[in-house]
Amino acid sequence: MLSESARMTTAREASYRIQYPNSRERAVKVIALDPVAATVLEPISKGAWHGAAFFTSLNFAATATPGQGLDAWLKDVTGHAMNLISEVAASDFVVVITSVGEDARAVSVIADACKLHNKTLVGLIVPREGATDADVTASLADLRPYARMLVVASGADYIEAMLTALRA
Amino acid sequence: MLRKEQNDYLTQTGPGTPLGNLFRCYWMPALLAEELPEPDCPPVRLKLLSERLLAFRDSEGKLGLIDEFCAHRGVSLWFGRNEECGIRCPYHGWKFDVSGQCVEVPSEPVESGYAKKIKLKSYPLIEKGGVLWTYMGPPEKQPPEPEFEFCTVPLNQTFMTKRLQESNWLQAMEGGIDSSHVSWLHRGDLSNDPLFKGAAGNKYNMKDLSPVFEVVENDGGLLIGARRNAEDDQYYWRITPWVMPCYTGVPPRGDHPIHGHFWVPIDDESCWAWSYDYHPTRPLTEAEVSAMRDGKGIHVKYVPGTYIPAANKNNDYLMNRAAQKAGKTFSGIEGIGMQDASLQESMGPICDRTKENLVGTDNGIIMARHRLMRAARALAEKGTIPPGVDPEHHKVRQAALLLKHDVQFKEGAKEALKAKKGVRQTSV
Repeated sequence: MLSESARMTTAREASYRIQYPNSRERAVKVIALDPVAATVLEPISKGAWHGAAFFTSLNFAATATPGQGLDAWLKDVTGHAMNLISEVAASDFVVVITSVGEDARAVSVIADACKLHNKTLVGLIVPREGATDADVTASLADLRPYARMLVVASGADYIEAMLTALRA
Repeated sequence: MLRKEQNDYLTQTGPGTPLGNLFRCYWMPALLAEELPEPDCPPVRLKLLSERLLAFRDSEGKLGLIDEFCAHRGVSLWFGRNEECGIRCPYHGWKFDVSGQCVEVPSEPVESGYAKKIKLKSYPLIEKGGVLWTYMGPPEKQPPEPEFEFCTVPLNQTFMTKRLQESNWLQAMEGGIDSSHVSWLHRGDLSNDPLFKGAAGNKYNMKDLSPVFEVVENDGGLLIGARRNAEDDQYYWRITPWVMPCYTGVPPRGDHPIHGHFWVPIDDESCWAWSYDYHPTRPLTEAEVSAMRDGKGIHVKYVPGTYIPAANKNNDYLMNRAAQKAGKTFSGIEGIGMQDASLQESMGPICDRTKENLVGTDNGIIMARHRLMRAARALAEKGTIPPGVDPEHHKVRQAALLLKHDVQFKEGAKEALKAKKGVRQTSV
């Protein structure tokens, strides 16, 4: 007689896996940290996403300093300003995108918001023409203290691949 | 999550499929050298990338890997007689050499030249590091021989086993780059297994169950760094290399031998999990080899006379609920190899990735899939040679080390990640 595992691991048994959805839509906030990343993000935002919202810039109060200030606004791709804290609070996780060598220090403001609401921050570094290894190192240094997962991709096409894989 | 068509793309490796064409760009482990130990020994039938093949070593010691079936009436040549520099079909006596060339058709006059017109498909088969490797792609694109460190050190410094895994290759390989499962599924083995225990770095694994990950593309594939908190201003980094399409390395522990895997598709519903262990600078000790033969570390015990794990799906992997409850093992299954295999086989023969829910820390898996698809497309559309074919890409090592907080692991571990003859692995 076949063991239970032997019976249950056949292709036929796999076909009986129930077809009900096992998850709900994710609210993912995707934030470009610099103008180059914003340019990359804009066409991606026009895709058919489930619960992803795309933001092309971050502004925070002049009195605030990175790492301390939470009085901040995000601008979405249509130009609407949204409150950073509210957006992060309503998210399942946050993805920040930066281009190699660009100033990504604003991530600390987003990280503070994530910390406040206990949200995971994923950092993605995409290539930029003319960038050097030292630029990659600098970008990693900006994001490392805050990101739970950091990815250095060799092409911007990875943004779409990653967001699709994460059901964004 | 993958769409169904993406999942099919990555899991189908038969002839003519995009991933099948990608796999056919590389040298791959086909058999252990021990399976064809001497001239005129019994032939071995095997299936690779959904092709039924026969391997044999002829009277002069030459290796052959040919179509399994006789060109005459389709009999399996496994029943053949391996004699006088060829394999002879027992049905009507047709004989083939290691290149698949038919050299004798007894019913036809030699002068007719009939035999010369019959040739079975064959692939090159070479021996290196105790492994017989094959290349199943176009002959004109055959790459230089593999240079993975485990197959270039002296034979007394390396040990290789293989085990049958009854699942698609991709779900098996993804386990090899999924560093976050180690602290859970294998937690009991860090302190008990003779090939893991005692390493200073183990304490960091046990203390910090929430590693932080960095994924960086490398020439041949990926480097996946998992960092955990260590003393002072340091992180404990465990760096896993993935060389395309199916080589993964496990970061080392102390002075224990280095280990890792190849995940080679047999067909779309099964694969060979190859497990290597080697030390770059010293022979393996008797105790180490004995432990490996006994199924410790990443190796398994076998059903005698086979490469089928003794704990397998036919005996529910010898599930031990008491050991699970007592915390001796986390899953109730003994041994790292079968802890992984039992769960990966439970996904079904081909994992349905349309239903999975990945999280940010799964980016190593996401990136590996992305690179495989990108490489397969570039090969199909432009004929681009994929990463991992160049033997220089094989000269990568896994590493475990402490680095200051502000050091990037790819930079800080640059030398540690290079395979260098006579240089010990970097390990904590």
